[in-house]
Amino acid sequence: MSFIHDHGAACGCTSRSNDLLVTRRELLSRLGGGIASLAFADLLGQQGLLAAEQQSALAPKPQAFPAKAKAVISIFCYGGVSQVDTFDPKPDLVKYQGETMKGVGEVRTVMGNPGGLMPSFWTFKKHGQSGTEVSELFPHVAQHVDDIALIRSMHCLSPAHGPALFQMNTGSILAGHPSVGSWITYGLGSENQNLPGFIVFTDYRGGPINGPPNWGNGYMPAAYQGTQFRDSGTPIVDLKPPVERTPDDQRKWLRLLHELNEKHASQNPLDTELAARIQSYELAFRMQTSAPEAIDISKESAATLKLYGVGEQPTDYFARQVLMARRLVERGVRYVQIFSGGGNFEPSWDAHWDLKGNHGLHCAETDKPIAGLIKDLKSRGMFESTLIIWHGEFGRLPISERMDGRDHNNNGFSVWLAGGGVKGGTVVGATDEYGYKAVENPKNVYMLHATIQHLMGLDYQKLTYRFNGRDMRLTDVHGELIKEILA
Amino acid sequence: MRIDPRRAVVVCLAGLAALAATVRPVLAQEEEERARQVYQLFKTSCLECHGEMRKGSLDLRTHATLIKGGVSGRVVVPHDPAKSRLYLLVAHRDEPPMPQKKAKLSDDQLELIRQWIEDGASLESVEDAVADERKSPAALAKLEERPITPDERQYWAFKPPVRLPAPVAAHESTRNPIDGFLRAAMQAKGLKPAPKTDRRTLIRRAYLDLLGLPPSPEEVDAFVADKSPDAWPKLVDRLLASPHYGERWARHWLDLVRYADSGGFEFDVDRPEGWRYRDYVVKAFNADKPYSQFIREQIAGDEYTPLTDDAMIATGFLRLGPEGGGGGERGRQESLDDVVMTTTLTFMGVTVSCARCHNHKFDAIPQKDYYRIQAVFFNTRGIDYPLVPAHDVDAQKAEAARIDQQIRPLRQAKRDLEASYLKQLVDREIAVLPDYLQAAWKTPEKDRTEGQRLNVLQIEKTLQSDSLRAKITDKDIVALMPESERQKHRELVQQIAALDKQKPRPVPTARAIAESGREARPSYFLHRGSIDAKGTQMSPGVLSVATLKEPVFPEPPPDAKSTWRRRGFAEWLVAPDNPLTARVMVNRIWQHHFGEGIVRTPSNFGVMGEKPSHPELLDWLAIEFVERGWSIKAMHRLLMTSESYQMSSRDIAEDVAIDPENRMFWRMPRQRLEAETIRDQMLAVAGTLDRTLGGPNVFPYIDPDLFEKSSKRDWPGKPDDDPATWRRSLYVFSKRSIRYPLFETFDQPNLVNSVDRRNRSTVAPQALLLMNNSAVLVQSKQFAERVRREAGSLPEAQVERAFRLALGRRPDRDELAQSIEFVKGGPTGLAEFCHVLFNLNEFVYRQ
Repeated sequence: MSFIHDHGAACGCTSRSNDLLVTRRELLSRLGGGIASLAFADLLGQQGLLAAEQQSALAPKPQAFPAKAKAVISIFCYGGVSQVDTFDPKPDLVKYQGETMKGVGEVRTVMGNPGGLMPSFWTFKKHGQSGTEVSELFPHVAQHVDDIALIRSMHCLSPAHGPALFQMNTGSILAGHPSVGSWITYGLGSENQNLPGFIVFTDYRGGPINGPPNWGNGYMPAAYQGTQFRDSGTPIVDLKPPVERTPDDQRKWLRLLHELNEKHASQNPLDTELAARIQSYELAFRMQTSAPEAIDISKESAATLKLYGVGEQPTDYFARQVLMARRLVERGVRYVQIFSGGGNFEPSWDAHWDLKGNHGLHCAETDKPIAGLIKDLKSRGMFESTLIIWHGEFGRLPISERMDGRDHNNNGFSVWLAGGGVKGGTVVGATDEYGYKAVENPKNVYMLHATIQHLMGLDYQKLTYRFNGRDMRLTDVHGELIKEILA
Repeated sequence: MRIDPRRAVVVCLAGLAALAATVRPVLAQEEEERARQVYQLFKTSCLECHGEMRKGSLDLRTHATLIKGGVSGRVVVPHDPAKSRLYLLVAHRDEPPMPQKKAKLSDDQLELIRQWIEDGASLESVEDAVADERKSPAALAKLEERPITPDERQYWAFKPPVRLPAPVAAHESTRNPIDGFLRAAMQAKGLKPAPKTDRRTLIRRAYLDLLGLPPSPEEVDAFVADKSPDAWPKLVDRLLASPHYGERWARHWLDLVRYADSGGFEFDVDRPEGWRYRDYVVKAFNADKPYSQFIREQIAGDEYTPLTDDAMIATGFLRLGPEGGGGGERGRQESLDDVVMTTTLTFMGVTVSCARCHNHKFDAIPQKDYYRIQAVFFNTRGIDYPLVPAHDVDAQKAEAARIDQQIRPLRQAKRDLEASYLKQLVDREIAVLPDYLQAAWKTPEKDRTEGQRLNVLQIEKTLQSDSLRAKITDKDIVALMPESERQKHRELVQQIAALDKQKPRPVPTARAIAESGREARPSYFLHRGSIDAKGTQMSPGVLSVATLKEPVFPEPPPDAKSTWRRRGFAEWLVAPDNPLTARVMVNRIWQHHFGEGIVRTPSNFGVMGEKPSHPELLDWLAIEFVERGWSIKAMHRLLMTSESYQMSSRDIAEDVAIDPENRMFWRMPRQRLEAETIRDQMLAVAGTLDRTLGGPNVFPYIDPDLFEKSSKRDWPGKPDDDPATWRRSLYVFSKRSIRYPLFETFDQPNLVNSVDRRNRSTVAPQALLLMNNSAVLVQSKQFAERVRREAGSLPEAQVERAFRLALGRRPDRDELAQSIEFVKGGPTGLAEFCHVLFNLNEFVYRQ
């Protein structure tokens, strides 16, 4: 029996959920949206409010065990960051320049056209008490190495963007699974019912391939999907009433809707679904004010704007998004994901050629804002309650492509985490002498996801969602904690 | 013959056995003995998890996998127990203590392991024996067997349905047996059935259920006024004869078969011919094609005669899954898994794909069944099946080839013209390369190192033929040319472009399935689901537990183009004694009339699913279904003419207390409409719905921010008031990466997985969308225009007309007064009022 049990917990093919939980979960999937305050009380009756409140899919849920981090800011460098040019120094590449890698077996490149080894265009220096080496591409982030847990031995399943993005974002290389943000909001709900629990920003040059399924809810209810926020004006599509409808008009409009709905609901007082839907209009109304306010950085001090690099080039765009992320987290949003880089090739980190120009630009755009975020969170006492995650979908090869670029590399690359529950100044694992393959203490994406859930106070082996007869898990049958980085 | 070098050594050693035995040091013998003991210890204490299961990716069965370690890296450092994770964990000096959930190893055992690591932590000496044990055909075959016990065959879903007489309620003799079954169960629980609902509610319910469209006020009035005893069955018949019935019920089917119009994944390539399958499904429902035939065509349409275009289009079912999973054998396994999973969930209501890596843990589904069913589909491949006669296909090909022939010399002439200038540009680029690359370039070919050879190749490719990087463009080349050559170059480019344009359009095709002949390619049992652990070769088969006598797969005739395995499988599915097929389908039909199935997990009839609330009724319906020639329309009639279908959805407090989830079907549940029905109903009520049937898809407007910023993808939607897009939602292009916001927000499935029961969530973004989305606002204005046209300018008449159009009823006195006041409130009052109606609970719920 222990065998079945063990395995059941692992692959979800066996464990039988508590019937009570299934029912509760079903309820949650039908209702939701989050209904809390009485700000709209002049229009809305109190009937059913309590019931609807309790059944909101995004209502805050307790952590499985105490953890410091309450929110996540995930920075996704779409296209793939070159580890040997940023966080994983390989001085020997100079010695071996133009040669092939020895003893690593067949090297497969995605785009063909492999060359010899290519040294980095940038130099590395030791930083902080930990003495962690970081290249001159990240001078600001480098000042925070003692706050960061750097994993130099990450590897993933696919060297192609599509599957690798899906794996980093959903755990599976195939489409159709809920994203990490969906799992976290499913597990913990959200602290602010006037905003979505999971918010996504994309790059001004476009977003990642695969599109919205990268932050999709997969088979989970719509409440857990990432909501794309625009970074100016009206953050959410369809948030604001048509221009010709004045606030007074809208109030009258909502009043009539409410009265007619209440009359209908009063004939079926036991139906909490109807009550929940009435309440969802109240939330929508409040969101019209709270969402623009949340991303309105005009109230931030000049010093804060400067800290992030707002108003300067090339940081302005990304800096605004990162600052908005802090404001959202401050307001109780559970998970914010920012994609740096969009479209294909040059507009993203996908440096198949002109690595110098590409990474030169993308690092310059993001370095200061990320460092600003760390500093800002610390000064506000939010660093310990926020988990920052930085990575791409894979790394890049130490050999050249198209003379001065690098092709995809899923065998070894760097990711880092900082903030709540993370042991700063840590360096985990190592790649081989070329920076090609994770050889020391290798870590995979399942481990990263297990650790993220753990840092958020969720048990990655117990948080499941029933679909098509299986209790699904973010880490599927895999996963293990990266204990080295836990504070 | 290829000789395995390791085997060769073994042979040699055997030849020198006597000598070897004498010269082998005593020490080595001791070490071997320890290794053997360690392996025995692993067997009893570790291999349950770190053997075949490879928990944490650790496999302690062979030397190679032991050395490789698991997900957290190496587990043994030879000669250094203190650094060997395996030792630290079993010695409980590190977390987690091993073996888990078992007693700690004894001190002697720990010492054995420690000593063995000191020796070098080798399993090599025992490996051959281990490997042979694992690889012996008998051992392998044994692993694959998982016999079905007689008890397991007694599970309700695997026994053939039994027809019991319908119970007759004490106080009345009901005409429809469904009522007998339901009422008897209610009585047993102390529930009382809800009263009959009013006629207005009933006709709206029937329209929404069967057509997904609301009745017009005139249709409502006529039905209310029809006092004849057969008014209701007549209405049901009339709706079943409507072509819009097929559109509505096709949508339920498309959820199950994860239909979409694009491949999903990285590039989400469109499938412009995909809609033909959708139209096939609509036609099948409209024609009341027997469900058995519907199954045969989708699984094996190409293996029956006469071969029809429809049957070929139907096989597209097997190709509806998303792209992905990469290429090669591994990718093929992923897409076969998608086919096995979708087929078994959809037609059989069992989770066979849980048995991909191991025997099903709860249901009696051996892993072998998974691979036997996989063998059924193993030989399929996708084809574009031309839907025009062969001579048209040939003519199209010949014309394309003729034009290519003309283009070829022009391309060559262009290349010749460019050659000398290209060289100049290349030389210029090379001069600025880093020294080591220039050195590679200058080194004579024969003297180049491997790295230099690669770099030179890279320089050549990048500078001369790279369409992506385009470091040297046509423009750069032309810039160097004298005017006369530029002119010539321009002409060549124009001529090539003109010829390209003349190429004939491709012939219409269907995404279909074919195989490569009557001989099957071998497929295998895969241990742990891994292509690296092939077991024995599989013959096609079915679900063992659901069949007492293994069906004999038909022998394909000599001229067959395929293995006929799918035909054999389809025939098993539709055989009268198949316990699943009919039950699963009648349950789905029931589900879409009564809100939930008799089995509430409609694609999972296994132990992990829900038990039927009314098993006798389910059996009775399944038998009826087959006896009525698998007629789906007959089942609609049967269900809808029951009194149970006509019950009210109002609360009955006593019943709610006993059965809050309505598992006994004591009332008709009130339910939020599906995304597509909400949109269709808005268009129908606004009077703008274009009811054209079938054909290619439409692209209603989507805010470009929702896809341009997210994926650089194209959605050719014109502005939202383009009436060409005011078709039924079924015809909206379903692109896997660009979802139509209204559909996505209102819980349309993600177009990737088979979905048997939609989520029904209530979230604020739904409210925002119905409040502010421009398409909704446009339809509200259209609705107001219609009301004005039909009711004139008096607010009272307008409100009444709008209520009747949207809700199928007149407003009561309070509603009328409130609404009139609102309409009079401003110049756009009527449109605003119409917009309120679209947002009402009553509008988006079916009672």
